[in-house]
Parts: sequence; structure tokens; C-alpha cells
Amino acid sequence: MFLQQLVNGLTIGGIYALIAVGYTMVYGVIQLINFAHGEIYMLGAFFAVTFIVGMGMPFYMAFFLAMLCGAVCGMLLDVIAYRPLRQSPRLACLITAIGMSIFLQNLAMLIWGSRPKPFPGNTLPAWFNKTWHLTHFSLTGFHLFIFAVTIIMMVGLHLLIKKTRFGKAMRAVAQNKTMASLAGVNVNKVITLTFAVAGAMGAAAGLMVGAFYNSLYPTMGYVAGVKAFAAAVLGGIGSIPGAMLGGIVLGVAEAMGAGYLSSLYRDGISYGVMIIVIVFIPAGFFGVLIKETKKSI
Amino acid sequence: MDQKRISNATLLKIGILILALVLPALPFVSQYFLHVIILIYLYMILALGLNVVPGFNGLLDLGYVGFYGIGAYTSGLLTYHFGLSFWLIIPLAFLNGALWGVLLGAPTLRLTGDYFAIVTFGFSELVVLFLTNEIWLTRGPLGLPGIAPPSVDLSWFGGPVWEFQGELPYYYLAIVMVLATIFVMQRVQDSRLGRAWFAIRDDEVAAVSCGINLLVYKVIAFGISAAFGAMGGSFFARWVTFLSPDMFKFWESFLVLCMIVLGGMGNIWGVMVGAAVLVSLSEILRDLLSALGLPVEIRFLAFGLIMVLMMRFRPAGIMPIRAVAAQMRAGRVKRRRAKATASG
Amino acid sequence: MRGKGSLLGKGLIFGLALVFCMVTGVMAADTIRIGVAGPFTGDAAAYGDNIKAGVSLKLAEINAAGGINGKKVELVWGDDLCQPKEGGNVASKFANDKSIVAVIGHVCSSATLAGMPIYVRAKMPVISATSTNETIGKVGQGWFFRNCYTDDFQGRYLASYVVKDLLGLKKVAVFHENNDYAIGLKDSFMAGAKDSGLEVTGVEGFVKGTTDFTPQLTKLLRDKPETIFLCGYHLEGALIAGQARKLGFEGPLFGGDGIDNADYIKIGGEAANNTYLTVPFLADAAGPEGKKFAEDYLAANGREVDWMSANAYDCLGILADVIAKVGTDRQKIRDGLAAMNSAEAGFEGVTGLTYFNEVGDCSKPAFVKKVEGGKFVPAN
Repeated sequence: MFLQQLVNGLTIGGIYALIAVGYTMVYGVIQLINFAHGEIYMLGAFFAVTFIVGMGMPFYMAFFLAMLCGAVCGMLLDVIAYRPLRQSPRLACLITAIGMSIFLQNLAMLIWGSRPKPFPGNTLPAWFNKTWHLTHFSLTGFHLFIFAVTIIMMVGLHLLIKKTRFGKAMRAVAQNKTMASLAGVNVNKVITLTFAVAGAMGAAAGLMVGAFYNSLYPTMGYVAGVKAFAAAVLGGIGSIPGAMLGGIVLGVAEAMGAGYLSSLYRDGISYGVMIIVIVFIPAGFFGVLIKETKKSI
Repeated sequence: MDQKRISNATLLKIGILILALVLPALPFVSQYFLHVIILIYLYMILALGLNVVPGFNGLLDLGYVGFYGIGAYTSGLLTYHFGLSFWLIIPLAFLNGALWGVLLGAPTLRLTGDYFAIVTFGFSELVVLFLTNEIWLTRGPLGLPGIAPPSVDLSWFGGPVWEFQGELPYYYLAIVMVLATIFVMQRVQDSRLGRAWFAIRDDEVAAVSCGINLLVYKVIAFGISAAFGAMGGSFFARWVTFLSPDMFKFWESFLVLCMIVLGGMGNIWGVMVGAAVLVSLSEILRDLLSALGLPVEIRFLAFGLIMVLMMRFRPAGIMPIRAVAAQMRAGRVKRRRAKATASG
Repeated sequence: MRGKGSLLGKGLIFGLALVFCMVTGVMAADTIRIGVAGPFTGDAAAYGDNIKAGVSLKLAEINAAGGINGKKVELVWGDDLCQPKEGGNVASKFANDKSIVAVIGHVCSSATLAGMPIYVRAKMPVISATSTNETIGKVGQGWFFRNCYTDDFQGRYLASYVVKDLLGLKKVAVFHENNDYAIGLKDSFMAGAKDSGLEVTGVEGFVKGTTDFTPQLTKLLRDKPETIFLCGYHLEGALIAGQARKLGFEGPLFGGDGIDNADYIKIGGEAANNTYLTVPFLADAAGPEGKKFAEDYLAANGREVDWMSANAYDCLGILADVIAKVGTDRQKIRDGLAAMNSAEAGFEGVTGLTYFNEVGDCSKPAFVKKVEGGKFVPAN
């Protein structure tokens, strides 16, 4: 059973990691917890279904297009809701973020209805359903797909941050906005593009979850968002490798906890972890490194 | 400052109070109408309670519903299992709320604003999970049905035992509770405690340099806020006579937050106006939407939108606190003068 | 308190108050008004739709035949979102509307439980087509009636008949939702399983809204059960079925009436096959009236009839019967319903014979159907 729970845990963990990275990137550049990030995750799933059912697109195409939409939604969120509040106190930004989250959830309910929907059957590539029953656990093609996507995106993001100019600009803005701007970085553009990348990854996560568990509903972003945020905090908010690791650790802890301890407190594990980490080690795994170089204003 | 002359504001407040007292006697007022007005009073109490933390102290509390739930279940369980009198339960729930406020606040209030908000959110979610899963204590999802309504027991000197029936007794009880809450809030606001809080809200560093112990004052604020939330919950339990854990979801916290943001954070009268406006809006939208055949939950879309727009255009709320209102007036005067000199 | 801010505030309150009073005004009408409470929007809207379809069909028949004693019947809908708080609000609204003489509802037991004290205080008779929780009868204090069986009966029936006799299996894993319906059902199943000599290999719970059941399923499957009890509603049931199959479970699945919904097959797909469920109404096993009802329903709604619609149809039928005899006084209607306490005084409807005991419960038979080839078919 342990190996199966591990497989379960790594699957959810990878998803949490993808969402957590989005939270941590945005927090890094503007020190805002983007409550509406969970909604972009949800919209990714719904857009994909709309593309597949409404326009008859094949799966992979819908996947990429949904990611694109996620990026656009992220950018719109920044430009419309958060950018005007750059100079406002933090409380105002947090409240706006919650307001946007509620707004988007209900907008989705208005457009797609609040009843959970199945992912359109038979539109997934055939190899997703292929199951391998090994001695101690089972694995399907879809599991492998999720693992692959997660790993590719993590590596891609890592390369983006470390090797590209944009990545450098992002790190500069995260360290010190004023100095970055003095060094010639268009701060607003970098921030908006950060939202775009975060949104794309979140949308991919949402789409995969919706398809894998065969259930889409407008409030799916809410719980996933909180857990992913717990993962980001665990890893050290503002640290991207931290978010990745935090996501995986949280996913595995959740699967193990639900499997071996109480399945009813499954969500409680995430909340508990989050509270304990914040209270005792607010810097998380990797946060220590970031804390010293971050400016406080 | 003319302190002898009764200001317009006081006259208005007295007028509203008289209207509230005679409301049930008016012809168009049905039981349903009273039910909604009582709901407004309840949310006023909650809003006043929450107002202490973001309004007076400038800290975002996202877990208010946790205390509301604790108060409600304290009240419900004590009634269900022991048949305790409501008049005894109110102070007990109040104290229980304060206790949990202090327990949660002490380790977490030293955190920065964002983290504190998230921890309070996690706390309220854990409260709901606890209420749902610990069936041996709370009956979990089965809920607590049949909680006895409050009663006035005069039998100890040979009088009758009179149980609350219909909405009327609750109506007047709610008015009394709202007035008591307003009284406490006003006294606190004008006291040293209140002034320390405002100092913390406006500039923590300056407050510390004036010798204010941040943690102690914040914990007191959080405890008081929690206590009033629990008190509201205790009333709620014996009013609706049925409790279930899913009545205490994060949405309630958000709703009360909406009320204080809309009404004017930090302004006692503002948050009451915010409560009245949002509860009425909620009921009106419910009727409007079902008449139009649209799903009723969409009304929450309006609330999300309201929050975003308020933060963008009028973050101080409909009725800003005095200091902010004065600043806004000064700003307007300055702009008007600038325009006059520019065109003149 | 001076300045534009407070004026805006005052204006807002006044305006809202005005609209508010207009909205809460009561309309008078010369029809017989019956309240129908259920979740017409929200997660559980599928159930509300069923109830709506059932009563609407009966309403059309009644009004086409001239109404009750010459007066047309009008239905007033109350959306409770399957939540206790909304249930209370709807109950308050119905109770205070003097023109409403009886209420059909609510659908979800938790909403009914929240509303009953209000109905009792307002002396409003309530008849439910679907609330199966044990305790409602007691809370109802004589004002509550239902024409569906209770979970106590259903759980035992599942254990003794479905698992032991029909499937002939012994080892059961129980996977239940953590809500009033499922917990009541699970408890009575466990009691029945003990009496029938079944072995319960494991019990796991989940909260509403879970979509990933793999950790709990992995735990349950470790003990090699022969069948899994899907103790909850169709949505989670379908997801559990899918994930159990993915984990390699090939035995039959079974559940109660909560699983009975076309969406179970739609969402579960292939995995939904080989699932058995108990339902209060089965068109194939019903008499000629039941079969005609099933045909009319299909013609009117474009989908197969389900047990909720059938019970709701009968609820309105029962009320119409009683009102025709005793008139539109709430107390008299309640007494009329209470008088249906024996087989002779019962109501013969599409769901069979209905009569009530002293707490308003009725004993009705259960039927078993299963999913085969992507469709519901009778299981015997």
C-alpha cells in the first residue's frame, strides 16, 4: 500500500507544486498573496472543456490553448485589479484579491453552472487509460502524463528564471523594485508577465486535475488554492524551488495522512501544516536565503 | 466645539432607534420582514466585532467565522445537553470566544499582516473541520436540531416561565444586544486602549517608540473581537434552533469583511450601515434573481465586485472614519481651490 | 458624521428599505397555494429538478381536471440550496405567508431539519418526498409526513437482501460521505450487516467536494473486500467507482437511493457498470399507473423517470386528496394526513400504497436496480 500511496501523493503533489509556484512567483515580485490564483486554475479546466466540447478541438491543442488563456487571465487580473493598487496599503490589495476570487468563482457559476461536470469522455489520448498493474501498485498512462508535464514545466521554469533575461529581470524586481527600475527594467511589464507565466502553469494544473479526477466545478480552485498556498509557505514563500518541493512534500503527506491516519481530516493536514510552518518557521525550507536579501518596504 | 447643542447626527441616531423600537407595530411588517431585520442586527454585532481588528488595528482577520461558530456551538451544545439558560450562556459564549481569541492570537499576532491573515483563515477552516468530524461532540453533519429558544424564567419568585415565540422577542433582544455592543465599542474607542490601537494601525514603529507593547494590545483586540463574534453566534444558535457545521464556512467571514469595508473600516456607524446595506442587498438580490429565473448564488458575484470596486475607488468606505474623512475633505478643498486659482 | 459620506449612507439605506418593503409584500390570490422547497440551484440542483418535474406533472393533471373543488392549484418555489441556513429562510418565508396551506419538501434532510421547528411553530403541515433521515419524525412533532422510506430501513435492506441474498457476498468495504444522510445509512447498514453475518473489512469517510479518493481507496482495497458500499450521493459515487476500477478493483459496487441519478452513469462511464442500488420506485416493477406515469414523464421531460419525481408526484397527489376532503385550513390538512394511518385509509399512487405512522413515517418497499451496459435495469 505504501508504494501506491506514494504514487497517489506524487500525483497530487506535482499538481500542488505547479499551483504553488504561481503563488510564490507573484508573491516574490509584488508581495501579494494572489487569492484569485485558484480561480485561474479552475478557469483553465473550464476553458479546456469548452474548447473540446464547443469547438471540437483535440486534447493537446486544447491543452496549449487553455494554458494561453490562463496566461491572458493572469495578465488581465494584474492590469485590471492589482496594478491600480500598487501604491495602496497591503490590506486593500488582499481584500481586492479575495473580491476577485469570489467574483470569478461566481462568474464561472453563471457561465457554466454550478453543478460538477465530467471531463468529456473519450477525448483523452488513448494511452492515458492504459493501466499497468505492478506487484504493489497500479499506474496509468495519465499518471505518467502528469509526472512528465510537471517535470517539464519545473525544468522549463528553472531555465527561464536562471538563464533568460526575463528571469533576471524577475529576480531583480523581486529583490528591489526601485533599483530594478533604475537599472532600466520595465517593472510593470515584468510583473504582468510574471502573472502570465503563473497563470499558464495554474491553468495547466487545473486542466489536468479536471481530466484526471473527471470532475470540474466552479469552486474547485478554492481548496486547491489554499493547499497550494500552504505548499508555497512550506517551501518558503518567494522561493520557486521551495514551492516545488513544498508541493510535492505536502501532496505526499496528504496521501499518507489520508491513507494511514484519518481521511476526514485530509484537508486539515494542509491547514495544520500551513499554520505550524507559519508560526514556527515562517521562512519555510528555503526562505532563509530569500529573507535576508528582501527589502522590507 | 459646541457640546451643548445636540448635533444632527445624534438626532438621526435617536430617530432611527425610535423607528426600530416601533417597527413591529407598523402595518406592512411581516414575520419574514422582522426575520430579516433581526439578521441585520446580528450582522451588525458581528461587523462591530470584526471592526476591532482590521478597523481599529489595521490587521486583516480572515477567520472571524471560526469564533462565530465557536460561540454558536457553545450555545447550542450547552442548551442541547444541559438545558442551560440563555442568559447564562451569553457570558459563557463571550468568554469562550475571548479565550480562543487569545489562544489563537498570542502565538500568531507577532507575524506580519499577510501571514496573520492566512493563519486566521486556516484556523477557521480547522474549526469547521473539527465541528464536522467530531461527531461524538457536535453531532457533526447531522447537525444540532431542536435547540430550545430562550426563555425568561420567573418561577423563582412565583412568576410564569415565558418562552420566546415568534420573531418579536428575538427582535427586541437583538436591539438590546446591538445597543450594548455599540456602547462597549464607543467606550473602548475613546479609551486608552482605543488610542493605542489607532496608533498601532497608523504606524507600528511609532507606536512602539511611544512605549506601546504591540503584542499585548493586539491580543486584547483579537480577544475582544472574538468575544463579540462568539456572542453573536450564541444568539444565532438559539434563534435558528438548528446548527450545522456548514453554516460556518469562510464565506461568512468574507461577508462580514465586505460589510466593514463597504461601510467604512474603523467607523462604528459605518460598519453598521454596511451590515444593513449588504444583508438587504442579499435578500433583494435573492428575490430578484429567482424572479428572473437566474441562479440565486450569483448575488455573491455582486459582493465580490463591490469589494474590488470599493478598494479601487473608495477604500475608506461609505462612511470613513473621522481622520480619513477629514483628509478627504481637505483634499477636496485643496482641489477646489486649485481649480479656482487656475481658472481665475 | 457630516459630509457626503453619511448622506450617501443614509440615502442608500432609505432606498434599500423602500425596495425591500415592496419586495416582501404578500400577494393575495384565489388559488390554493402550496409551497415546494428544494435545491433548485447549486450543487444539488439535480434533485430539485427531479422534484420540480414530478410535481409539475401532477399539477398539470390537477389543474386540467379543474383544480381542487373548483380552485386551481398554484405552486410556490423555495430554493434552499440543500443547506440548513437557506432551509430556515425558506421555511420562514413559507410559514409567514398565510396563503400557503402546505409545504412539499424539503429535499435534503438537513434542510428539512432546519425548517421543521419553524413549521411546527407556524403550524404548517409538511410532506417530504425525499428526506430520509431518522430524526425528522421526532422533530416534526406531528406536522411532518413523508412518503419515502427511512434510512434505517434502507441500510438494513442493503445488508440483508442486496449483499447477502442478491450478490451472495460476505466481505464489504464501506466508504461513506460525512453527512447526515450517509452516516444514518451507514449506521443502519452496519447494524444490518452484523445481523446478517457479513464482514465489514473497512470503513472510510470523505467530505463533500472531494475529488481524489485514491488514498482512502488504496487503504480499503488492501483488505481485499468483495464489494464496496458507495454510501453517499451519485457524484462522489461515480468518481469513486472510476478510481476504484483504476486501482484494479473488479467486484460489484452497491449503494442507496443517493446513487440513483443519470449522472452516475454519465460521469462514471465504464466504471459505473456492475453497480447495484436500492430505490423507492422502479418503473418496470410498478403497476399500470406507475408505467403510465413513467411514459408521461418521459414525454414531458425527455429523460427517464427517477424515484424522487415519482414520490414528489405522489406527494402532491396525497395533498390534493386531503385538501379536497378537508379544505384549506392548515390544522385540518395536518389532521387529514395523520388520519391516513392504515392500509385502508392510505393513498394509492404511482409509488404504491402510502400511509403514515404516528411520527409521519411510512413503510414502503424498496426495489433494486443495477447498471448494465451503460443503463439502469432492474436487478432481479
